[in-house]
Amino acid sequence: MSVIAVLVKASLNPDMVRAEPDGSIDVSAIPLKISDIDRNAIEEAVRLKQRLGWKLVTVSVVTWGPVSARMKDVRLAVQESLAKGSDEAIVVADDALTPGDQTLTAKAIKAALERSGIKPQLILAGEATIDEVTSQVPGRLAALLGYSYVSFARKLEVEDGKVIAERDLEDYVEVVEAPLPAVVSVTQEINEPRPPTLLQIRRASRKPIKTFGLRELGDIGKPSRKLLEIKAIQARRKQVIIEGETLEEIAEKLIEALAKEGVLQL
Amino acid sequence: MKVLAIAYEVKDAGELAKAVKEFNGEADILAVSRAAEQVNEVARYSKRVYRLASKSPYAIYKALENLVERGGYQLLIAEGYRNLRDALSRLAGSLDLPMITDAYTIRILDGEKVLVERGFLSERAKMKVEVPLPAIVLFIPRFTEPLEPGEEGEVIELAPTEGPEKVLDVKPKAMGDVNLEEADIIVGVGRGFKAKEDLHLAFELAELLGGQVGCTRPIAADLKWLSEDRWIGISGKRVAPKLYIAIGISGSPQHMSGVQNAKIIVAINKDKSAPIFKQADYGVVADLYQFVPILIQKLKEKKAKG
Repeated sequence: MSVIAVLVKASLNPDMVRAEPDGSIDVSAIPLKISDIDRNAIEEAVRLKQRLGWKLVTVSVVTWGPVSARMKDVRLAVQESLAKGSDEAIVVADDALTPGDQTLTAKAIKAALERSGIKPQLILAGEATIDEVTSQVPGRLAALLGYSYVSFARKLEVEDGKVIAERDLEDYVEVVEAPLPAVVSVTQEINEPRPPTLLQIRRASRKPIKTFGLRELGDIGKPSRKLLEIKAIQARRKQVIIEGETLEEIAEKLIEALAKEGVLQL
Repeated sequence: MKVLAIAYEVKDAGELAKAVKEFNGEADILAVSRAAEQVNEVARYSKRVYRLASKSPYAIYKALENLVERGGYQLLIAEGYRNLRDALSRLAGSLDLPMITDAYTIRILDGEKVLVERGFLSERAKMKVEVPLPAIVLFIPRFTEPLEPGEEGEVIELAPTEGPEKVLDVKPKAMGDVNLEEADIIVGVGRGFKAKEDLHLAFELAELLGGQVGCTRPIAADLKWLSEDRWIGISGKRVAPKLYIAIGISGSPQHMSGVQNAKIIVAINKDKSAPIFKQADYGVVADLYQFVPILIQKLKEKKAKG
């Protein structure tokens, strides 16, 4: 049976960032949540699964450790995709792979699929994840697997062994056709994700989740990226609220402040 | 160290050349897409320019793979256009290279490592990160001022390789005549506006300031009040104006990531607890329908006085 794989990441939640007074951020204190655009990838994968009658597998790699403290959030993210219609999930979790980098994430996904004996015809992913926004794991994975790659798809169809997609670029839309097997990254425009129903959520708890550590995957290397410092940017903004007796007074004060900053051209 | 800069738009050549001048002196350039169409302009920033008359991610990926293997480039730099993110992520996978995106500063350590500052957590934070060379670094647009052009260098023509992905059709987006990436002043509009007709307030303000109007995702994608070339954010454009005036915008990370490099951000919103006030330099807590007309009036008065 043909398989669709959908990539799901438990991302750091940018809305839950708490900075210390000196601006430093402790990443281990930020909760994880499913990356928003992954919801679009799941929705699209479920739609295609139902139309094509293929099997759907969720793949997730734990990027942010320590694994023991993160598994609850990771399971929530993965279970959302199972509830939506994925048939099973593969999770790669190993402290030696955290904090992960994109090089290793792509290799881990490839290794986990191979170890599970799964050769997906189609791999769907969000165009980027909300914590790092690098848009590079799908492209890396396509190159590693020798698949064709269609990035930034806002419309997708699968027929006769190929994908036909609309790629959303800066100032134009490109209709492309690519043979399967293929990796496709999708944008938020592709669909409107619906939350799973209670019944779907209850059923999902019975679906299998396979977890792999480094030992099961074989040697895929170590993260080569070193995170030296993470600081809040908000502190850089002045955050001055302009107040006054009247809106006229506020407007004048604002114009004065902007003139002083040298950003007003009248 | 051999550095290769990839120019997608003509302006990239001057900006990338400027960055390289500060840490390495010079870079060879690969000109693709529109930069390839105007390769003579690009050639004024490097002694050696490769020209690939294509914007296909696969063709760019394969040309780079060839150049890196034969030319021994240690560092590849570019700005983060979608076709380049696509091409370079494939190259990174194929050659097993680290790749850093959304960089705004770069340093080379001992000729062995590259140290980059980049946006993180939907631009609420920045990350200092180090990777070993060889590596790929993609910068945010307009991350530096362009270098002054010099003598025209040599241009070497490359033939594009055809890939598995075939282009069936190209549809231009419904565009206004805006180019937000080049604008010094942008007035951003969000869901605080109740009707499409009301956007004239933003346009009037922008015109008065010699700026452009941009918007959040719902305004362009859901409501379709404005064309997509005005949409700022993760899936839209990333801009770097001197002044960004956000009107009726709450400040979601998806939107704010697109304006993080604005020099000054002004927020006008009636909800004093809106997250945007924490990400703005100057905030005005007021109903936009009351405040913006007054602001326009005051600016007109100033302008009249000279």
